[in-house]
Amino acid sequence: MANTTKKETVKKAAPKKATTTAKKPAVKKTGAQKAAPKTKAAVESAIPESPLVFERPEKFEQVKHSLEKVDALGLVCGTQKYVGDIDLPNLLHVKVLGSPHAHARIKSINTDDALKLPGVVAIYTYKDVPRVPRTTAGQGWPEPSPYDTYLLDSKVRFVGDRVAIVAAETIEQAEEACKKIKVEYEVLEAVFDPEKAMDKGAPVIHDEKDAYVPIPIFYDKSRNHASHVETKVGDVEKGYKQADVVLEKKFYPHYAQHCPIEPHICMAWLDENDRLVLRTSTQVPFHARRITAQTLQIPIKKIRVIKPRVGGAFGAKQEVLLEDICGLVTLRTRRPCKLALTRSEEFMSSRTRHPMVVKIKMGAKKDGTITALSMRIISNTGAYGSHALTVLSNCGSKVLPLYRTDNIEFVGDTVYTNLPVGGAYRGYGATQACFGTESLMDDMAEAIGMDPIKFRQMNHIVEGESSPIFKALGEGREGVDMAIGSCGLAECITKGMKIIDWQKKYGKKGTGTKRRGLGMCCLMQGSSIPEIDMGSVFIKMNEDGSFNMLLGATDLGTGSDTVMAQIAAETLGCKHTDMIVYSSDTDMTPFDVGAYASSTTYLTGGAVITAAKKVRDQIISVAALKMGEKIEDITIADGICYGKGKKNKVSFSDVSKYSLYENKQFQIGAIGSHISHASPPPFAAHFAEVEVDTETGEVKLLSYVAGVDCGTAINPQLADGQTQGACMNGISFALTEEYIFDNGKMLNSTFGNYKIWGTKDMPNLQTFLVDTYENTGPYGAKSVSEISINGALPAIGNAIKNAVGVRLTHPPFTAEKVLKAMKELKSAKVEAPKATAKKGKKK
Amino acid sequence: MLKKLTQFYYPKTVEDACSQLANAKEKTSVIAGGTSEALRNDSTIEALVDLSKIKELSFIKSDSSSISIGAATPVQDIYKSDLSGVSGELLKTAAGKIGSTLLRNAITAGGNLVALFPWSDLPAAYMVLDAEVVCRKGKPKRTVPVINLINSKPASFLTKGEIVAEIKVPVFKKGTGASFAKMSKTSNDYSLITVASRITIAGGKIEEARLAVNAITAQPVRCEEAEKLLVGKKPDAELLAEAAKKAVAGLKVRKDYRATEEYRKEVCEVMIRRSLEESIAKAGK
Amino acid sequence: MKLNVKINGKKFDLEVNPNAMLIDVLRDAGFKSVKNGCSEGSCGACAVMIDGRPKNSCIILAGQVQNSEILTAEGLGNPETPHILQRSFVDHGSTQCGYCNPGSLISVKALLDKNPKPTEADVKDALDGNLCRCTGYVKRIEAVLDAAKIIQKGTKGKK
Repeated sequence: MANTTKKETVKKAAPKKATTTAKKPAVKKTGAQKAAPKTKAAVESAIPESPLVFERPEKFEQVKHSLEKVDALGLVCGTQKYVGDIDLPNLLHVKVLGSPHAHARIKSINTDDALKLPGVVAIYTYKDVPRVPRTTAGQGWPEPSPYDTYLLDSKVRFVGDRVAIVAAETIEQAEEACKKIKVEYEVLEAVFDPEKAMDKGAPVIHDEKDAYVPIPIFYDKSRNHASHVETKVGDVEKGYKQADVVLEKKFYPHYAQHCPIEPHICMAWLDENDRLVLRTSTQVPFHARRITAQTLQIPIKKIRVIKPRVGGAFGAKQEVLLEDICGLVTLRTRRPCKLALTRSEEFMSSRTRHPMVVKIKMGAKKDGTITALSMRIISNTGAYGSHALTVLSNCGSKVLPLYRTDNIEFVGDTVYTNLPVGGAYRGYGATQACFGTESLMDDMAEAIGMDPIKFRQMNHIVEGESSPIFKALGEGREGVDMAIGSCGLAECITKGMKIIDWQKKYGKKGTGTKRRGLGMCCLMQGSSIPEIDMGSVFIKMNEDGSFNMLLGATDLGTGSDTVMAQIAAETLGCKHTDMIVYSSDTDMTPFDVGAYASSTTYLTGGAVITAAKKVRDQIISVAALKMGEKIEDITIADGICYGKGKKNKVSFSDVSKYSLYENKQFQIGAIGSHISHASPPPFAAHFAEVEVDTETGEVKLLSYVAGVDCGTAINPQLADGQTQGACMNGISFALTEEYIFDNGKMLNSTFGNYKIWGTKDMPNLQTFLVDTYENTGPYGAKSVSEISINGALPAIGNAIKNAVGVRLTHPPFTAEKVLKAMKELKSAKVEAPKATAKKGKKK
Repeated sequence: MLKKLTQFYYPKTVEDACSQLANAKEKTSVIAGGTSEALRNDSTIEALVDLSKIKELSFIKSDSSSISIGAATPVQDIYKSDLSGVSGELLKTAAGKIGSTLLRNAITAGGNLVALFPWSDLPAAYMVLDAEVVCRKGKPKRTVPVINLINSKPASFLTKGEIVAEIKVPVFKKGTGASFAKMSKTSNDYSLITVASRITIAGGKIEEARLAVNAITAQPVRCEEAEKLLVGKKPDAELLAEAAKKAVAGLKVRKDYRATEEYRKEVCEVMIRRSLEESIAKAGK
Repeated sequence: MKLNVKINGKKFDLEVNPNAMLIDVLRDAGFKSVKNGCSEGSCGACAVMIDGRPKNSCIILAGQVQNSEILTAEGLGNPETPHILQRSFVDHGSTQCGYCNPGSLISVKALLDKNPKPTEADVKDALDGNLCRCTGYVKRIEAVLDAAKIIQKGTKGKK
């Protein structure tokens, strides 16, 4: 560049523009360049690109430290508020009348007597509300789930299904009114067995014309066939021919409920601008807003959804279950209202895990090579199809890539039955499917005469490898190819073995009435749904050097507010307590899909870095201006901006005040959005030690060890806590949780009879994290929240097999089932798994 | 919900309580811990007499011949007491298996007997200890064997204005052992099968035998046929197995969707055999 | 029905329905830390201290606490001056969604009042009626044992 002064440049430019009178100094920065050069320069798109990889700092100041959870003190002191902790004057209490029948048409419904009762303000039946088929699944639009659910319908499809909505002055009055609603049902034949639901002649659960799927995915409601997914890699038949042993077995992972200690709850009111405000215990505020607008046929802009503290969710609240009801009542009565599910309603009419029939076939050589792997799933979605496709797909996508093999087949069907509705539940298909694969891995190891751990160690995926399944199985679309960037599974295995004392204890069953056994399993999951989900974050700076961080991402108690604050603080160069986090308010916070698919840290964390980087750049620019230094000489440490050689410095507060009040004023702030381009799996190895009472069948879980690779643990204490909670949940799922049905009605819909574990039931539980770094994740992070719920079912199943020789396929592993299996084994009545041992076959 | 409830009475003495019950014009019941009352959904009860703050109903006393417990004593106090000996240990074990700490601080020694459920834990222990129940109608009292109370349904056994005031169990001499077992899925769970036993051994032979079960039955029962089989005999594996078999054969098994009848009978037999083994082993100490 | 009761050290003269449950009376009086999880005394989220005993308030009739003294989590401490137990819960990561925390705090407060040097088994026993679906209990037990040590040392709660 010529060494001219600015003035000379301007002078030089002027003669060219002979016709113009405007004296525009060439170098002043303005928004749009009004002076139009004749050549057409390309206009840069304003759409941001999400990076695949983030920069890795040399040292972590905030991240990877167990910093205090930002809401914890308020929670323990009772000052933090959950949905139901506010008092609204003029509040109506809402009760939903649930169906006593599993499958019936409403022939007539009369609310006259009920309306006459004291305190009853309104009752709505299917005749009073718009009929809009939609899904309750909180997924990105257009949702990959059938639009088969209605605000109210003239047909009921499971015991507990919505019949009518009552609003009254007190909850007792609403309950009384429900009893007085006269309903005449035409009871229809019901189907409860998922293996029979697609049979010719089975009762058609969705015989209505208007149920459909919003995207081109499989859907055949005429045969109760809610979804079908299949994919093939290589040639499994060829693979089985190459095997020395082929095993095949069916497994039946069962119904379970999330049991958040706070059941579903929602409140609604009209604000001063006559907008509908929904204060709800949700994982998906933005999807809730959209789906409620769709259901009630009102514009999205008329709705605001706010999520305060949530008392646990685990997937149950990734569903728009109460918001439409509360919206309806408030819009019609113009009064605030509240709907809180009872524990019994939580069990029967919210959402459950999808029970499945999981058929696994595996072929292996005696040297341990897995030659073929087939997974055949029948997933029972209950009466409605929320998450019908996606949970099914995840059975394959989150399990099949774990072990190396050239030939894979996945075939899955989701079917309707007249039973409680399956939804999203931590693990999301991987839980069910890996019960099958990890059980069969042990059986196969035994069949080929190999140690079950060695069999896994030689076959599991490692860093740098990929699996064709990543691309083959997406969620309603094609998946995303990726190579494993980080894998700490090997260390999880060896360290876990040491902690549980595997070498010493394995095989030492004892000889008395009580027999001991060890079992283990390997796990993988995912981190976000790549190319589909998006999260965004807005950060603005305050004059004391603090920041407001507004994000749509949903903290369910998981601590995402804290984790995001740590990531932001790391990027900005300050403390996490300098971040004032406000989340999950559709008016105030930018978009985020919500808390599911193990996304928040990996996906929203990326948006945090993007926003924080922009804000950091602004801070540096202002600091440079204030100190009269060059931008490239400014460094930041601990909320202070240093000039060249650290001679000058200004605090964040100085910078902000300068930018707000003193010179070239502007609001330091930026928005960042992120889409992920991969779903790097966290990995885990779980170990269980059991003692089986051979006379009663009771299984006592003595020890449980879980090792997890989640990349960088942004907050190790929180990550460890997630692991421990997930393990205990998986353990009670394996041993004591079950739905007991009588004609489609759940008999044990209380905590008294549906057993989750307390402190006196605990095994000796030990958990640990291993250290890896995932380059595509924010500061090396992957996910941690789902994976560990998957381990107990296979690890305990394998431990029982080790102890008493029985392979249980119908969890939960109750004492009665164990005793029965042991007896059957004894009298050799049990059918051995279809093992075809090949004799002396050449490779 | 107790829809018609309008009145609470807070008597300071047993006399007051009984007189309030006897003279009540409204439909009146008693309340101690209230855990079953609150969930009862009885829309006829109009008044409740609160026994929980009557000092003479809440105590644990023991001497060389007996242990006596006030009927309104929270079972948590029994669990955490320093009661000892065969009877004391059995009561502590049974009390400690009731629900949870939170429930045990409400559930009472008398309430767990009078509001009798298949899953009630203490009654089986009371039965094998030959407990006696002191029922009072103000000052006058009658002492009855607990088995009489249980067999005629405790609530209907009591006359108007009468309350259970005290449970007494004897202190047993050396050579006695007792056992209590509850089969449930988690520690805070309704019992599936409850088994309690007490054996006294003298001269190498079983002098006295008590065996009671609950939960597998609709209410606690003594297995008298099995007890008769044991008395006078030398305890050995065959005898115990036979007694267990006989005990189960005589049971009227109730409906319980949590496990099949076949399974519960089989495991009850195992639990009875083990209970007897344990009682005998302890008797030998 | 008139209800005279002391809540967190303050006297209250309330007018309540005779068949009201204590949890609703407490929440209506502003003590929102008392949570409903099951309405049947199984989960312990509603636990409060009544005359020194921790109990499930969802299965207690309001009339049963006439003239009683009640303690809720709000009465233990506030964010500015938390009780050592509350501070310990936070420091040990025992608080995820927090919904079961107030009830759990009451149970362990009752434990430490009677047994200042509890073992791990004692802590598990004291918490056996407080279900938690988030944490798996491990960090809670550590928090209580640590709090007990701090209280024994006579150290004041951290700021």
